[in-house]
Amino acid sequence: MPGTDRNPIDAALATFLESPVMIIVGSCDDGLLPQVARAAGAVVDRAKGRVDLIVSGWQWPQTIANIGRNGRLAVTFARPADYVSYQLKGRAAIVPASAAHRQRAQHYIEAMTETFAGLGLDQVVAAPWLVDLEPQVLRLAVETIFVQTPGEKAGSILEPSQ
Amino acid sequence: MTIRLRDLHTCFEGVIPSIIATASQDGIPNISYLSHVALVDDEHVALSDQFFSKTATNIRANNNAAVMLVDPRDGSQYRLSVVFERSLDSGALFETMAAELRASSAQLGMADVMRLRGVDIYRVASVAAIPSPGAAIAASSPATSVYLIAAAKLCGRISEAREVDAIVDAVLDGLRDSFGCANSMLLVKDPAGERLVTVGSRGYLWSGIGSEVTIGEAIIGTVAAERRAMRISDMSRIRRFGDAIRAAAVDENQTRTIALPGIADAMSQMALPMIAGGTLRGVLFLESKKRLAFSKDVETALSMLASNAAAALALADNTSGNEQSLVTSQGNGALAGRPFSVVHHLFDDSVFIDGEYLIKGVSGRLLVHLLGLHLQEGRADFTNREMRLSNELRLPDFKDNLETRLLLLRRRLEEKAAPIRLLRTGRGKLRLEIAGPALLESR
Repeated sequence: MPGTDRNPIDAALATFLESPVMIIVGSCDDGLLPQVARAAGAVVDRAKGRVDLIVSGWQWPQTIANIGRNGRLAVTFARPADYVSYQLKGRAAIVPASAAHRQRAQHYIEAMTETFAGLGLDQVVAAPWLVDLEPQVLRLAVETIFVQTPGEKAGSILEPSQ
Repeated sequence: MTIRLRDLHTCFEGVIPSIIATASQDGIPNISYLSHVALVDDEHVALSDQFFSKTATNIRANNNAAVMLVDPRDGSQYRLSVVFERSLDSGALFETMAAELRASSAQLGMADVMRLRGVDIYRVASVAAIPSPGAAIAASSPATSVYLIAAAKLCGRISEAREVDAIVDAVLDGLRDSFGCANSMLLVKDPAGERLVTVGSRGYLWSGIGSEVTIGEAIIGTVAAERRAMRISDMSRIRRFGDAIRAAAVDENQTRTIALPGIADAMSQMALPMIAGGTLRGVLFLESKKRLAFSKDVETALSMLASNAAAALALADNTSGNEQSLVTSQGNGALAGRPFSVVHHLFDDSVFIDGEYLIKGVSGRLLVHLLGLHLQEGRADFTNREMRLSNELRLPDFKDNLETRLLLLRRRLEEKAAPIRLLRTGRGKLRLEIAGPALLESR
């Protein structure tokens, strides 16, 4: 449970979530129509068991609307180099983006652009995926964490490390 | 503006991973990357079902999903609202997707892990472009007719070629000059075995003539087994096995295996089956350092070229039997040159000249046969017919690819700068040139 002794976000996972990894966000409206969005950076609060996702309100208005309505959110963090992935699920609330959030988004976009360049991907190609225009913060209270890396363990619940 | 699925064809190349979002009946979303999204028609897409089990569960409870596709040329993103219709575990579409998956996973050595369980068909309710600041307009691919014109011209050149080597050269030179494919090779199927043999290549550090690919192995062997074309548009998603290949190249004298050529940093690959008379004749293989080097349009044009080349090669091999083929040896002046040894290993018909591996199999037997007759009888002239009837040669059967094997032998001798050469002096005529006294030994 978030904020308790069994905080599921350990230090290694927190580092991973804040590193240059791709962040994709799933939500749905009240008619159960799902939406896809991308986040431009994350800030982890381990003590409170929550993750702030910075999402462009300009690019992903339906996702922001869905969260505003029902708060249901799934987010997958995937490292482009080796596809190591985790999916976090829980309820999220919209909070105003602080200066720290905006700064994190900028750093994230720079680091991600550099990561893609290292993989041979042109900056122009990656730019549409790394947008922080009109940033909104989706504050996710994490309930469950799944291993999503392709392979046998995909879909299993992450066991807290000792 | 309405976006049609067919306008998004480059999004289906598998370069940038697609994304799918689903929701359970009680409204809990799930989001996952997808390895394969295929275009079925203007209203349907197909997704491969391998790992994403939560997606599969959700979609059967709530058939609405959102799929995001990315154009690899400019990164632009498209949202598809889709509705799950049905699952397939057989049929043409399933087989095509399964074959593509096998080709890419064979390279990873993960063929079993990546086995396709099913293909899910979704109806596309709407397509929308995701806004992007400073969005670029995707560069449109050249009109199909450009490739068709190039293919037609090249097919004409192939049809004019009468000999096997001229056909092979016309194909490879044409790919380079008319299609800008700098790295290519042509492999023919060994009628006796489950292998393909390289008979020509362009753009590599070594020609690899005589190198072999087992049918069913990696992209070339998979294309031969499946008899369908395959494209990989971004090799960085697939671990290369190039290092293993190059390590093997170091000592072909020990392995008796010629290394398949390759470029270490290839990003795109395409292999096309060469089929004529219902029989697989070979495989045409192309690669490039560029992402997305081979579009669907190029594949379409080159598949016609591959069929045409297959027919031309089959015809050249069959008609050569009707010609008086002459092999003449120039042995008289040879005694003045440096002596050299030719060792023939009977167990695999491999031939070594001065300790250097040359070739094995039927091509090896051909060389030893010609050289043996020359040394024993001082004979100068041989015919194709005689070679085909020879008990000693044990040619597999009448459709023996004799012309192709002679081509292989001739080019391999040239490449190894061997003291024996087979020179073509006219249609169906070959001259055996020997630079010194040959010491032939069978083991």
